[in-house]
Amino acid sequence: MEYVAQQIINALSFGAEYALLALGLAIVFSVMGLVNFAHGEVIAVGGYTMVAFAALVTANPWIIVIGAIAAATLTSVALERVAFRPVRYADPTTGLLTAFGVSIVLQNLFLLFISPRPIAVTSLYFLDAPVTVFGIQISSLQIFESITILVVIMGLVLFLQKTTAGLAMRAASLDFEMVRLTGIRANRVFALAFLISGLLAGLACIFIMARRGSVDPHFGFNPVLKAFVACVVGGFGSLPGAVLGGFLLGAIEVGMLVMLPQEYGGLKDAFVFGIIALVLIWRPDGILSPAKEKGDKL
Amino acid sequence: MTLTRSQKRGILGACMLAAILIAIGVLATYFASRYQLRLIYSAYVNLIVVLGLQVFMGNSRLTNLSHSAFMGIGAYAAAICVTPIAMKQIALPDAPWGLNAFALDPVTSAVIALVITGAVACLVGIFIVRMTGTGATIATLAILVIVHSIFLYRTDIFKGNQAFFGIPQVFSLTSIVILAVVVVFVVRGFRESPWGVMLRASADDETGSAAMGVNVVRLRLIAWVLSGLILACAGIAYAYFLGTISARPFYFNHVFLTLAMLIFGGMRTVTGAVLGTFAISFGLEVIRWLETGPVIIGVNLPEVLGLSGVMLGLVIILTMALRPVGVMGDREIEELVLKKK
Amino acid sequence: MLDIQNLRVSHGPIEAVHGISLQVGAGQCVVLLGPNGAGKTSTISAICGVAQATGVIRLEGDDLTRVSVEDRIQRGIAVSPEGRRIFSNLSVEANLRIGGGIRANKGAVQDDIDRWFETFPILGERRNQPGGTLSGGEQQMLAIARALMSKPKILLLDEPSLGLAPRIVAQVFELIAQLRADGMTILLVEQNARQALRISDYAYLLNNGQVQAEGTNETLGGSENMMANLTGLG
Repeated sequence: MEYVAQQIINALSFGAEYALLALGLAIVFSVMGLVNFAHGEVIAVGGYTMVAFAALVTANPWIIVIGAIAAATLTSVALERVAFRPVRYADPTTGLLTAFGVSIVLQNLFLLFISPRPIAVTSLYFLDAPVTVFGIQISSLQIFESITILVVIMGLVLFLQKTTAGLAMRAASLDFEMVRLTGIRANRVFALAFLISGLLAGLACIFIMARRGSVDPHFGFNPVLKAFVACVVGGFGSLPGAVLGGFLLGAIEVGMLVMLPQEYGGLKDAFVFGIIALVLIWRPDGILSPAKEKGDKL
Repeated sequence: MTLTRSQKRGILGACMLAAILIAIGVLATYFASRYQLRLIYSAYVNLIVVLGLQVFMGNSRLTNLSHSAFMGIGAYAAAICVTPIAMKQIALPDAPWGLNAFALDPVTSAVIALVITGAVACLVGIFIVRMTGTGATIATLAILVIVHSIFLYRTDIFKGNQAFFGIPQVFSLTSIVILAVVVVFVVRGFRESPWGVMLRASADDETGSAAMGVNVVRLRLIAWVLSGLILACAGIAYAYFLGTISARPFYFNHVFLTLAMLIFGGMRTVTGAVLGTFAISFGLEVIRWLETGPVIIGVNLPEVLGLSGVMLGLVIILTMALRPVGVMGDREIEELVLKKK
Repeated sequence: MLDIQNLRVSHGPIEAVHGISLQVGAGQCVVLLGPNGAGKTSTISAICGVAQATGVIRLEGDDLTRVSVEDRIQRGIAVSPEGRRIFSNLSVEANLRIGGGIRANKGAVQDDIDRWFETFPILGERRNQPGGTLSGGEQQMLAIARALMSKPKILLLDEPSLGLAPRIVAQVFELIAQLRADGMTILLVEQNARQALRISDYAYLLNNGQVQAEGTNETLGGSENMMANLTGLG
């Protein structure tokens, strides 16, 4: 019983992390149809900022955390400016390939100017302490993750429902040109989408760093792959879909770990992606894909 | 059989590309050092990969990220068949199903590898070709990850990241040039064939072509399987020349490298594929030479590798920003010489 | 107010409008008539800046040719586009709020929204429903209201009666007539020539991307038979 409860909590906290990652991708995709593969490198920038802060500025973990979030947010906004503006209205493939290009450039810049080897950051270990809740041993990190994703979801919902900027972003996902025709600046909507995405990347970065404790040039690859998968499963472009996909992926992964016999452990990824492929065959556009409007609307 | 005007032009264009490929091969045989020969060989292998990629992406306009996996399947299948029993007893002592207890001649092995890769491509393709846009791209990504993790996990068959060695080195530069020329003709032939023409039309206007009775899904599947077979050829050629293979070259780095080649040259044309492959192969070598040469002294090797990666990424970004259709756009080589249709 | 000289609009390689000139005076309601493919919507798109165009477009003497789409709206152009283009995933109220998104005073925006809900009680009743659930006529009213939320100097209306039942069409024209009476400057694109002429001060007849005829209500109204022949409607 205790074992089951523990695994459920594991699945939920993995799911929370994946949902956080997936939301970062989905918010940009919903506005401009861009699959931002460089999201992982934004997370890595956060990680390297932690290294720099811890080594050069302060040992205070809260300042390190804020620094990482700020760096990720700035990077994300800067990438929109430099790399994604020229392909803003291009077809999704062009955007996707650009994002791949950005991802490769950043990874290799880390390699070139920082180090190919992992660099450890120990300042966040305190986040990961064992706690006993209702007789179940869990990590404090799992609690922080769950609270964060709840706060993020509530914050996003409020922002998207109540503010004009949020409404404009939702409207832009449907008909960007019409949003411009109301005089709301396209540049601002795009910048805002990347800003939120960067903020989410920064938050995700903290949890990943607290778990792994080190950053290397390929740091962002696995998280972005997970985010990708979660978005695909949930339906690309749908924010609720991203959250659902994240939690579903967390559940599948933990389920695979629990149910697969030890000797098949190495095939976990293959099984996870296999299940994803099956979901896609069942619903090619994901579970909660937004409705597409085809043809003329009168 | 009568040929249409564009098909005649296609043959002419393929001949011109073939002449260029042969010329580079001949020059390399006479002037290149051993090390350079190896580089030129791998450029030809990549050319076949990029051509295989072009068959699917250029005609259906869907992005494929799984091509290196199919190359890997071809390479491993051929390697397992062709490697002498004595070698396999050492390399794969625990192989199941008696895989280490037989050996075939290179031609039979290649045929078996083609059949296996084709069958896998067909099976996977049935699902891929039904998806659209981003969904299809992600699904191909899933294939890449699945295949790679199988290579890594079944070390008893594939040896994972360790070298699978002892493959007879039966290929030379001459054989790969001949193979590349054949593939150029196949790929250009497909582009100008009724299937290729319909597929390209359907990529431009899916609803319209469907209304005209074009079976987009079937056409995509044909292109996908043909692409898989060409990729298998590349894998076989890779294994038959090097003599050792491992799982690592069939993963993301290679996917991006070949993708950058196709994008830079222009995915819509065969000429673009050829141009992109040679331009990027050559450019990367120049950068690597700069990295290790007298310009940057005392930098250790792994850090040096970053610069070529940065350049590769920049090539993709700049191509997408400035000329998304690639250098060649919609033009094939003969259109540069002949008058416009 | 709006002065257009020698406007040429092209969609890719195809030129849809071959050098037209037209003027809309302050407080006027000017109608652009013509059959399908005459270049009416292309003209509206060019005024908004979303279509490739050459020529001169002036708003109150300011040249708009190099001004971005958003800046044109901020300088006082508002549009209810062809097909209405309601944000169907947003509530009726949210549609109006986006329409007023460029105004700084959010309190005044809310006041205007409430006033629209009084004018069109049906919109008020459905203020929290997604815009996509409204009927065609309601969507058209919403599209016009959304455009007016930005307090424009000139309102561009692209085929507001398209695809609506005759009774609803009458309501739409009633609203336009009311706006004109309130002093709003309007450029109206219509196929429904007779009703459009009734509420307009001046009319241009477009055909094949050129101005075929122009004149006041009375002069063109007299040649209504010619109109009917050209437009196929009437």
